[in-house]
Amino acid sequence: MADASSDDRAVHDSNQRLNQGFSRSEAEILTELFKLMQETGSHPQHFSAEPIASNPPTAAEPDRTLPVRSASPAGDEAFSAASSPAASSTSQALQPATDNLDTSLLELQQLLFNFDQSHLNQLRERLENPEWRAADISAVLRQAIELHTLEQEQVKRLAAAMLKTVEQAIQDSVQQDETVMSNAIFPIVGPTIRKAIAAALENTVQSLDQLLEYSLSPQAWLWRLEALRTRRSFAEIVLMRTLQFRVEQIFLIHRETGLLLQEVIAPAVKAQDSELVSAMLRAIDSFVQDSFTVKSSESLDMLRFGDLTLWIEQGPQAILAAAVRGQAPLELRQTLRQAIEQIHRDHQLALAAFQGDATPFAAALPQLEACLQTGYRTAPKKGRPYFWALFAVMMAGLGIGGGHEFLMRRRWGMYVDRLQSEPGIVVNRAARQWGGFAIAGLRDPLAVDPVALLSDSQLDPETVTGKWQPYLSLEPPFITARARQLLQPPSSVTLRVDPEGILHATGVAPLRWIQEAQRLAPLIPGVTRFEQQVTIADWRDLQASQARIAAQLLRFEEGETTLIAGQEATIALLVQEIQKAARLAAGLNRQVQLQVIGRANPRGTPARNLALSQERANQAAAMLAARGVNSGQIKAIGVGATQPLTQTALPAEQLNRSVSFRLVFTNSVRSRSGNQ
Amino acid sequence: MIQKKVCMVGAFATGKTSLVARYVRSIYSAVYQTTVGVKIDKKVVQLNEQELTLILWDLHGEDDFQKLRLSYLRGSSGYFLVVDGTRQETFDKACILQSQVEEAIGTIPFILLLNKVDLKDNWELDNAVVAEVRDRGWIVIESSAKTGTGVEEAFMTLSQKMLEV
Repeated sequence: MADASSDDRAVHDSNQRLNQGFSRSEAEILTELFKLMQETGSHPQHFSAEPIASNPPTAAEPDRTLPVRSASPAGDEAFSAASSPAASSTSQALQPATDNLDTSLLELQQLLFNFDQSHLNQLRERLENPEWRAADISAVLRQAIELHTLEQEQVKRLAAAMLKTVEQAIQDSVQQDETVMSNAIFPIVGPTIRKAIAAALENTVQSLDQLLEYSLSPQAWLWRLEALRTRRSFAEIVLMRTLQFRVEQIFLIHRETGLLLQEVIAPAVKAQDSELVSAMLRAIDSFVQDSFTVKSSESLDMLRFGDLTLWIEQGPQAILAAAVRGQAPLELRQTLRQAIEQIHRDHQLALAAFQGDATPFAAALPQLEACLQTGYRTAPKKGRPYFWALFAVMMAGLGIGGGHEFLMRRRWGMYVDRLQSEPGIVVNRAARQWGGFAIAGLRDPLAVDPVALLSDSQLDPETVTGKWQPYLSLEPPFITARARQLLQPPSSVTLRVDPEGILHATGVAPLRWIQEAQRLAPLIPGVTRFEQQVTIADWRDLQASQARIAAQLLRFEEGETTLIAGQEATIALLVQEIQKAARLAAGLNRQVQLQVIGRANPRGTPARNLALSQERANQAAAMLAARGVNSGQIKAIGVGATQPLTQTALPAEQLNRSVSFRLVFTNSVRSRSGNQ
Repeated sequence: MIQKKVCMVGAFATGKTSLVARYVRSIYSAVYQTTVGVKIDKKVVQLNEQELTLILWDLHGEDDFQKLRLSYLRGSSGYFLVVDGTRQETFDKACILQSQVEEAIGTIPFILLLNKVDLKDNWELDNAVVAEVRDRGWIVIESSAKTGTGVEEAFMTLSQKMLEV
């Protein structure tokens, strides 16, 4: 009530001035009164600065309310009836002055100026009372705000001024009872969240589809590299590289009328009449809304037909529709949204006042053109001749290489099989290695040389690495070979090892060899015992045989190459002796040669005799060969009548019409090749 | 260039579609009318040196199976109310439709087309009734899809009216 008392003071001052002037002239009094009225009239400005809440109505002052306020300024009569306690309370403040004034002066005032003190008091009261002022303001608040919002700039200022209050109010509301706010925003939040989730899901499915499609292609490996290089996710790269779309047409449509405001068409796109299309789009939107249960706030945002999609972005007054061919990224939605928002900001008035004239919307072209996006793949499919050429070369190389490799491996396999079947060779490991082959195992020194077999296998010896450990094979052929190597038997001796490891020796050999063999044979690895059936070869036997052969004579008819009949026994003896001598000679490391010497008696000419003698020698040699004598050991010689025989009892004439025999020995040239 | 949305309403089989078929540019078939309930055509009118594009929403005629979709009327600047002169009931229907349209989108210019005027021999319409609506200020034009009578006049008149608003 401090303010009220200060007001009282002001009133008191003016009253005092009234009192002082009472003794002055009437004109002065009138002037004073006039001033007083003026001052009182200026009070509203003083009171208007008072805070409304500083003077709330109290129970002690119940009568300061509506009954008085309801009295209009025109209703002076009712008000001045002084029935109002408010008026009387104001009157009391002026009591010290009025006490001293004569009622006639008051009457004078009224007469002169039609001065209505109660009216003045009422005005003052009205201005003083914050509650009345609040009521007054509330009556015009709506109109005031409406007036205010006529100008865009004013709207912004009002919004800024109210911002803190509104924020605080929302905050308080949520704190007090959050269901109020959540109920209020639920209808908006629900669809928004649904839309966002749907968009996110669609994006995920799209990504997954493409990931599956592209993760196995050769291109995918390049993208993986790119992902590594750019430190982005593979999925991101795939999406970025594979999306291929084109925004073919953009329509800006007036929402209310469905009329086309503006459009842009991508180059070389054959577009239908856009005005009809945009109207039809609106019709379809209405059709869907009418036909299905949808909220009025929801609207068509996508139409899909094959690879053509119509993306629709709704604004309050205009709609943006984009005809998109292919798979556009969801960022396009963002672009469309930004465009429609921008268009609404820039053309709000034109949109609100649209009466069919689309000219103002030519200014929206840049925003629409920004939506005319195109997404390419990295490279068109046919544009990779280098890749395919390289691929073909690689495949051909692989084919040739593969064929070669196959052949090599086949030869190698055959070679290893052959080695494994060879006596005295044990293959432990055979492998293909970088640049060639490797083989390792055991080999008897007497076994075949593995390197020598390579040429048969058509493998390059350079490519094969052999690693052989020596060992002694106990297979009979190897024992035999070893025995032959050690015992050096004469060619007339045959060595054989049976499965029990017994070394058998048969044939003819000098006694000394036989004795030596008996001593050494048990020492040969693998030989368990030595058994021999070797005939002892002796020079005396051989010489005796030689003598017996020399004593034989085959006789021929006179002047003929025909043997005289009855000499079969001689021939048989000769054959037997020759073969026996050959055996013995072999045992003594000698070879035998049987010289068959033909003769003729001196009756014919020497030439005739020589020829005849040669023919007789040949005849005899052939006859012996026919009976089993080695023809290589026979030498036929014709001597004519030059070396006549004389020692026998036969007449010389018959004696020299014959063939005689002589056995000669030569040193044996033995093969050590190891044949048995 | 000014565009205006214009609707065509009327009872079923009053000849709305045929009436404009020869005078408009169309990319949609009549199937749209029976499915979506509207067929959209375009008509360009030259009026006082000004080109006016009329986007015609040819609404499916109301019948027992399909009601008029009032949402299609939204944003219209004018409409044609089409009556088949040989069927009195289509006139009555038009009167009902007129009040429905007015209720839905307010008072906008419209023209009552008495169609099939070429079949005047089978005319059912009561002249008195027609006179009555004329008296109410309705613009009434007799038309024929077959002969083309009144069609251009109707377009011109409605365009004029819409531009006056």
